[in-house]
Amino acid sequence: MEILTQKQPQQFQAVAEEKALSPWREAWRSFRKNKLALAGSIIVLVFILIGIFAPLIAPNGINEQAMAKRLQAPSSEHWFGTDDFGRDILSRVVYGARISLWVGFFSVVASMAVGCLLGIVAGYYGKWIDSVISRIFDIMLAFPSILLAIAIVAVLGPSLQNALIAIAVINVPNFGRLIRARVLSVKEEEYIVAARAIGMKDSRILFRHVLPNSIAPIIVQGTLAIATAIIEAAALGFLGLGAEAPNPEWGKMLSDAKQFMIEAPWTMVFPGLAIMLTVLGFNLMGDGLRDAFDPRMKN
Amino acid sequence: MKKKYGLLLIAFVLLLSLGMAGCGKSSSGGTEGGGNSGGGTLVFARGGDSESLDPAVTTEGESFKVTENIYETLINFGEQDTEIEPGLAESWKESDDGLKHTLKLKKGVKFHDGTDFNAEAVVFNFERWKAGNKERFYYYNSQFGDVMKEVKAVDEHTVEFTLNRVLAPFYKNLAMSPFAIASPEAIKKHGDKFAENPTGTGPFKFKEWKRNDKVTIVKNENYWKKGLPKLDSVIFRVIPENSARLNALNTGEVDLIDGVNFSDVDSIKKNDKLQAFFRPSLNVAYLGLNNERGPLKDKKVRQALNYAVDKKALIDAFYAGAAEAAVNPMPETVAGYNDAVKDYEYDPEKAKQLLKEAGYEKGFEIELWAMPVARPYMPDGKKVAEAIQSNFEKVGVKSKIVSFEWPTYLEKARKGEADTFLLGWTGDNGDADNFLYVLLDEDSIGSNNYTYYKNPKVHELFTKAQSTNDQSEREKLYKEAQEIIKDDAPWIPLVHSKPALAGKAEIKGFKPHPTGSDLLSNVEMKK
Repeated sequence: MEILTQKQPQQFQAVAEEKALSPWREAWRSFRKNKLALAGSIIVLVFILIGIFAPLIAPNGINEQAMAKRLQAPSSEHWFGTDDFGRDILSRVVYGARISLWVGFFSVVASMAVGCLLGIVAGYYGKWIDSVISRIFDIMLAFPSILLAIAIVAVLGPSLQNALIAIAVINVPNFGRLIRARVLSVKEEEYIVAARAIGMKDSRILFRHVLPNSIAPIIVQGTLAIATAIIEAAALGFLGLGAEAPNPEWGKMLSDAKQFMIEAPWTMVFPGLAIMLTVLGFNLMGDGLRDAFDPRMKN
Repeated sequence: MKKKYGLLLIAFVLLLSLGMAGCGKSSSGGTEGGGNSGGGTLVFARGGDSESLDPAVTTEGESFKVTENIYETLINFGEQDTEIEPGLAESWKESDDGLKHTLKLKKGVKFHDGTDFNAEAVVFNFERWKAGNKERFYYYNSQFGDVMKEVKAVDEHTVEFTLNRVLAPFYKNLAMSPFAIASPEAIKKHGDKFAENPTGTGPFKFKEWKRNDKVTIVKNENYWKKGLPKLDSVIFRVIPENSARLNALNTGEVDLIDGVNFSDVDSIKKNDKLQAFFRPSLNVAYLGLNNERGPLKDKKVRQALNYAVDKKALIDAFYAGAAEAAVNPMPETVAGYNDAVKDYEYDPEKAKQLLKEAGYEKGFEIELWAMPVARPYMPDGKKVAEAIQSNFEKVGVKSKIVSFEWPTYLEKARKGEADTFLLGWTGDNGDADNFLYVLLDEDSIGSNNYTYYKNPKVHELFTKAQSTNDQSEREKLYKEAQEIIKDDAPWIPLVHSKPALAGKAEIKGFKPHPTGSDLLSNVEMKK
């Protein structure tokens, strides 16, 4: 274990300057060397920028219907062609980036927050509270996640917001379990024992020492989870349980386009590509992060 | 080292699964209806199974599609319209007060079980419907229920109907599929199982019914119309998914399909092995505006929304052009249709103007309900709703598209919970009463008047039309009602669609009927 506490002695760092870089910087070094991970990050960054600057990039609005121009093939006027309402697909894909990233990011942040809290409590206190929380996680994991999401949306009613909530809920146990396992090992570390010995309060130990030392795998898991969340949001959209019309959610665009697959393949190809690229980007980035943070991968 | 083994393992698993996939691809079953000797067999694929093969106890179209070919009615509809023609009754006479109808029956007609068709059989059928449970014999009770006083056999081939009051669409009602005459002997013999042993006088005899798979009917050799039917047998198959059904037609597994997506019509027309058919329109699709909710209470607002919708664009985009823009709540073929009524043309500026006059300059927000299922009059409710949503937005009215499961949708809309909702209607007998009264009279609130539209003047016209026997007088009344309705604008009438069917190019003589029940006795397969 090379994870160091924040209150490490100054001279220790001075002596071992080469080896004892902060773990974050060390991770960054190894991440930088990983070409695939860099490529992934660039893809992600590009999509984030597209999402932020969507109004500047998109040539049209998301719902400018022009029935006379329906199902036109890609051209200089409409780079990605038009859909069955004569709307510019490029504009819709661009605005769709906002929706997908928004859902991906916030659903993961929410499930991370809830999952971490439950996981820390379960791992640190143990006993019955651990049993209760762990069993709840087991129950949730027993359902196929997309099925659980569909059930949640069915209860709450179909909308983008509810899809986000559903995705957040189904991802909670993943984070919870991960951090619980992490806490179980961290809490046996000497610095925690020491902190307890000097009478530090539980909350301070948990949030100042246990959590920071468990955060690396959470970040890795979080990045990968965004990819899954985007796919899940698209799946819900595809099933008509996500974004409402006329929002250009990518999954919904796919489902709207499926009947034109043969005569107008561009209606399907571009939203599909967008989903594929963002998910690929997050996955590559997540894999890179995992390698960078994993002590076993270090040489 | 460890990693290498892992890779090997993965490769092995992949290979294995490939092999298994190969094994799974067994050859599909032999094709049906391949034999073309004699009249041949026609395989007709449709979206759902029949509910019952006793037409008297069902209201469901997939049932009538089959029973139309097994049974016959006293009066027939025209080949592709709803004019009345002789059926099992050769001629008919009506008393001056319009309360007594005397029908002369065809001689020498036999049921499939060999018993004679005669006046007694007709009386038996009417007695059965009358005595039966009201829910079970729904159509009898809704069309004749309290009007029918007595049905009497005057002699072997004459039946006399006595009514309590004048019933203008009497003969049209008799021509409806549910009032087909069944063999009394077979009804007595099979009792509760009659629906699985249908016995009529029609061109085809029942052979077998495998639930949710197929119904097979075969040629009635002793059919009273000489030379008919031309086919040896017909198999009605169930293929729920529209695209799967079209696929089955493409592979030659079936010969004729209904429920064709309008978006597929183009590719069918281009394929010389196939042909497209269009059912003459006896329907209307509309956007109902609940006359008792929010801003929609105001007539001006309802008129404004009428001006806002671009019907032409809807027809081009979702009906492949196979539809007419609807002006009145019933299609043009129905007697009493008012040609003089002018439609609200597409004019967003005018709509904004009217909204301003009504005090909604800044617009408002409403719910726009879209049906979740494809209907013959509405191929894709959600997409049509999206187009209308954008039409509304142009005049400043924001709408949220809402959808429920189909039965829930109807129930909630019936209770008046929807602001605006997509819906439609397919006529039963082609009479104006069957559209206007059923859909827009105040008596129909809680059943088929989903908009809660109420106008005493219109109600008066409808009831007057119901109790008069003079056709031209009735038409006048309905024409007047349509003008009032246009002005009150309880709906946005959208389209009258011509539902599409497709079949192999060899099919000859197939004429889809507006009611949705197609008589197949004239159909033949020619190579």
